[in-house]
Order: sequence, then C-alpha cells, then structure tokens
Amino acid sequence: MDTSRSYLEPSSFSKKLAATIIIVYTVITLIPISWMVMTSFKNVNSAISYPPEVFFEPSLEGYVNLFTNRSRQSQEYLDSLPPPENWYEELVRSREMVITGPSKFLGRYSNSMIIGFGSTFASVFLGALAAYAFSRFRVPLKDDLLFFILSTRMFPPIAVAVPIFIMYRKLGLGDTHLGMIILYTVVNLSLAVWLLKGFMDEIPKEYEEAAMIDGYSRLQAFFKVVLPQAMTGIAATAIFCMIFSWNEYAFAVLLTQFNAQTAPPFIPTIIGEGGLDWPAIGAGTTLFLLPVMIFTIILRKHLLRGITFGAVRK
Amino acid sequence: MSVKKKFKGLSDKAVAWLFIGPSVFLLLAINIYPLIYAIRMSFTNFYANKIGREPEFVGLKNYIKVLNKEAIWEKMQVTANFMFWTLLLQAVIGLGLALLLNRKFKGNELLTTLIVLPMMLSPAVVGVFWTYLYNPQVGLFNYVINFFHDFGSFDMIGSSVLAPWSIVIVDTWMWTPFTMLICLAGLRSVPNYLYEAAEVDRASKWQQFIYITLPSVLPFLLLALLFRGIENFKMFDMVVELTSGGPGSATELASINLKREAFEKWKTGYSSAFAVILFVTIFGFGNVYVKVMNKIKER
Repeated sequence: MDTSRSYLEPSSFSKKLAATIIIVYTVITLIPISWMVMTSFKNVNSAISYPPEVFFEPSLEGYVNLFTNRSRQSQEYLDSLPPPENWYEELVRSREMVITGPSKFLGRYSNSMIIGFGSTFASVFLGALAAYAFSRFRVPLKDDLLFFILSTRMFPPIAVAVPIFIMYRKLGLGDTHLGMIILYTVVNLSLAVWLLKGFMDEIPKEYEEAAMIDGYSRLQAFFKVVLPQAMTGIAATAIFCMIFSWNEYAFAVLLTQFNAQTAPPFIPTIIGEGGLDWPAIGAGTTLFLLPVMIFTIILRKHLLRGITFGAVRK
Repeated sequence: MSVKKKFKGLSDKAVAWLFIGPSVFLLLAINIYPLIYAIRMSFTNFYANKIGREPEFVGLKNYIKVLNKEAIWEKMQVTANFMFWTLLLQAVIGLGLALLLNRKFKGNELLTTLIVLPMMLSPAVVGVFWTYLYNPQVGLFNYVINFFHDFGSFDMIGSSVLAPWSIVIVDTWMWTPFTMLICLAGLRSVPNYLYEAAEVDRASKWQQFIYITLPSVLPFLLLALLFRGIENFKMFDMVVELTSGGPGSATELASINLKREAFEKWKTGYSSAFAVILFVTIFGFGNVYVKVMNKIKER
C-alpha cells in the first residue's frame, strides 16, 4: 500500500520548486507592509531620501509626531526654555519645535476601539440568537429571510449613506458613537447570522434536547448548553466583525467628523511640514494594522469560512 | 411528540420570533428603510443640504438623466475595466498559488497565513501607504521598477494612463490571497481516489489536471470571483485614498462618482436614482452568486 500512495505524492523536486516560488511570492507580497513598518522608524529626512534607504538609523520621531502637535520656534526662544524634561521633548526640540499638546490620534484610535467592540458585541449577540432560531426551528420563509439578510451586505454603502445621514441628523445620531455602533452592528449582522448558523448546525441537537428533558427551558438550554458549545465559532465570528468595523472607511468618512471619527479616515490626514509626514503615517498605520495581523494569525483556521460567509468550510 | 409539550418555558415558536425579531427589525430600520427612502428620493429633485425646501416629484427624470449622461457611462467603463483586470489577475495568480501550495511542502501553513495578511488590512489605510510606495520622487515601487529597467521618472498616480493600473496592482496585491484560499479549499476537496483511478488508466498529469482538477476547482473559483466582483463593483475606500478618482476622472469608479454627486454636489434626487441603478445591478449579481454558492454546498 505504501507504493500505491507514493505516486500521488508530488515528487520532492516539484515540492521544492513549489516551495521556492511560494517563498518568493510571500517575500514580495510582504514588502509593502514591511516597508510601512520600517518607515515608521525612520526620521523625516530618511523617509524621503532617494534611493530609498533599507538600512537606516532607527528613530522614534514618527511615533512622537503621531501623538503630538508641534509648532516651530525660533532658536532664541528654544534657548530661553528650561532644558527638556524627557527624550521626546528633546527629539522635538532638535527639530527646532516645541510640543504644543497631544494630537487627535489617541482619541481616533479609542473611537475605533469603542465602536469596534460595541458593534461586535451587539452583532454577535443578535446574530447568535437569529442563527440559533434559523438552525433549529422551522421558520416560515426561512430561505428568503436568510437571503434577505445576506443581500443587505451587497448594498454599496454610499447608496444608503444619504438616507442614513438624513435619518441620523433627525434622530441626533449623526457623528455619535452610538450611531456608528448601530450602523456597524447592522452591517455585520448578515455575516454573524450566516457564520453562526453554520457553527450551530454542527452542534448536535441532542445536547440541548437532553438538557430540556432534564428540566431546562428552551432559553436555558440555549444559554447554558448551546452557547458554550458554540464558543469557538462565536469567537471566530466576533473577530471577523471586529476586523470589519476596525477597517470600515466609507460610512466613517461620510457620517463622522469630530466626535466619533475612527482611525481610518484620520490616518490619511496626518500632515507634517511640507506635505505628508510619512514616518508619522507609518507609525499610525503600524499601530492600526498590528491588532488585525494578530487577529489574522489567531483566526487562520477559520479564515476561509469567514471570508465566504460560511459557504466554504474546510 | 407529547414529550415536547411538557418542556417548560416559552414555546419554540415564541422563542424563534424572539430570537429573529431584533435582527430583522434592525435590518429593516437601518438598511431597508434607507433604501426605500432612497428610491422615493430618486423620483424627486431633493437636495439634502437645502433644509426646508419641499422636494418636488419629477417622475423618471432623474433616471433618464443618469442613463443619458455620457459621463456615467465613462464611469461604468472605468469600473468595468477595473473589474475585468483585477478579476482576471486574481483568478490566474490565485489559482496558481493554490496549486503550488497544494503540493503540501513543509511550512506551507505558515506561508499561507503570511500571504493572507494584505487582505485583512484596512483598504483605506492600504490606499494611503501605497501613495507613498508610488511616489514618483521617493517611492519604493518606482525605485524597484527602475532598478530592473530604467524608465526614468514616472508617476503611477498622476498619469492618466498609469493610474488605472495603479489601482489594479494594489487591488490584486491585496485580494489575490482571497481567490487563493478559496481555490485551495477546492483543491483539497478533490477525493484522492479520482487521481488513483486516473493513474490506473494511465492518464497523463496534464489530462488529470484538465479533467479532474480544473472542473473541481471551477465552482470555487467562480464563487471567489463573484465575491470579488460584488466588492469591486462597490469599490470605494482604497481607490479614494490612493487616487481619489483622478487624475481627471481616470480612476473615478461608479461609487466614487456617486459620492461626489451625493455628498459634494448634494444632488440627492439624482444620486439616489444612480444608487438605485447600481443596486439593481449588484442585486442581479447577488442572485447568481447565491445560486453558485448553493451548488457548491450541494456537492
């Protein structure tokens, strides 16, 4: 039997060739991301040197610029100041500037967090309820309802943005965290319902039936038996919802301005003297992309399911 | 059956409505209501920035205007061009990568995870950092291209010839892993005995590829392309940040044009008509896509 398997197994040469091509592709495809991370550790001058510098003296200027507002001052004024209290003040002063206050980045980043977590929690909770009902009960027009839920994901955001804009203005939800949480919850609901339905279908009915024979009500069985069983699926779904809310741009740029603006519309507006401040943008990008990369690695087993709304399972 | 009635608590029917109700309500309120609102507005000359001015009913005027406007067809052409090239490249490269990864060499799981990273990133932020890579003076992309062949100075975003390609390259870079992952699942779904039988019948490797591998992957590839098709038809964020539709309107996709009409010129009635037309087109796509998806599930 051993020999009969071996002719299906690719030869060691073809394996090596495939591995080489894939490694080359991986390296090339990661260059743009690595370049942005590297840029975040450059100083302003080395970020705009040509040819591009691969080896450079690392600097935290980008991160300092990201988190602070600065203003240029004359040398006399700088000399009249007491000596800098910490390393970042020293760094800024070496550029003949003083820190005038914190930048908006932290606020935008925490807006992304608040809106992301809020909407993820809501859409996974509501999605789990609906998914359970679709998975276990005879619901009239089930397939039509499921298709309706999915079709909402196909709307171009801009097409519904004007009515939502007007509606939110009337309800006082424009540019508020709550408004954005509700909106992202709804956009994520379709994904949550479809993914969680798949996960719940995999949990044998017998579990909760046994619990119900032991005296649990349907609701108790759902919360105490089914939900704990579905935990992996719920976690994977939550991460997908979080990534969507985290990355969303169109609604954020159209419906928020000052109060509830998230990081994606903010990062492109980081401007230094004489154009975009690339190290600072690199720093913002790096800090913004980091959580998503970690999530992706955690998710790798469920990736396929998540991106196809549960249509393809491994 | 009589056992069922003895369970305590709410009946199954009540639980079903209790569980589905909130989701359906939210979707109706935040998705369907705005859509109906947009359809209503599309028959009026409403301007959302002019508060207090009563919109007038204008019938099909907006639709006629949209469909007769040459600029709209230009945007549709830009969108179609963008979709054609991104889908073609992503299909070819994605399937190729999947075939290679399916050789099951050591470490291919780690490499798969690394390759997938670009598609998980925020498209808007991706657009921003590619403007840096494409920068004609200091960009890494231009440097690398010139390293292999000296074209002199060129501007991927500023030139109306190159700009459409700049967005195709970024989208392909970002989303090829998507087709790759789905094709890989397709390849792994092919049962080994098919190849064993083919070997016994002395079918060549090439024949095996044409008659076994390709037909098995095709529905998966199609599914991936439909997903990407819908997404790229709505494409907005990455392109706005990369080229903002320019130069001129060389990369002004339908969604970007819609945003300009709706949120810069505030022509709510007119832009609603355009939105409805776009939505109907996508919905058509969507129907096909669900059918393909169901076919895959049946297998």
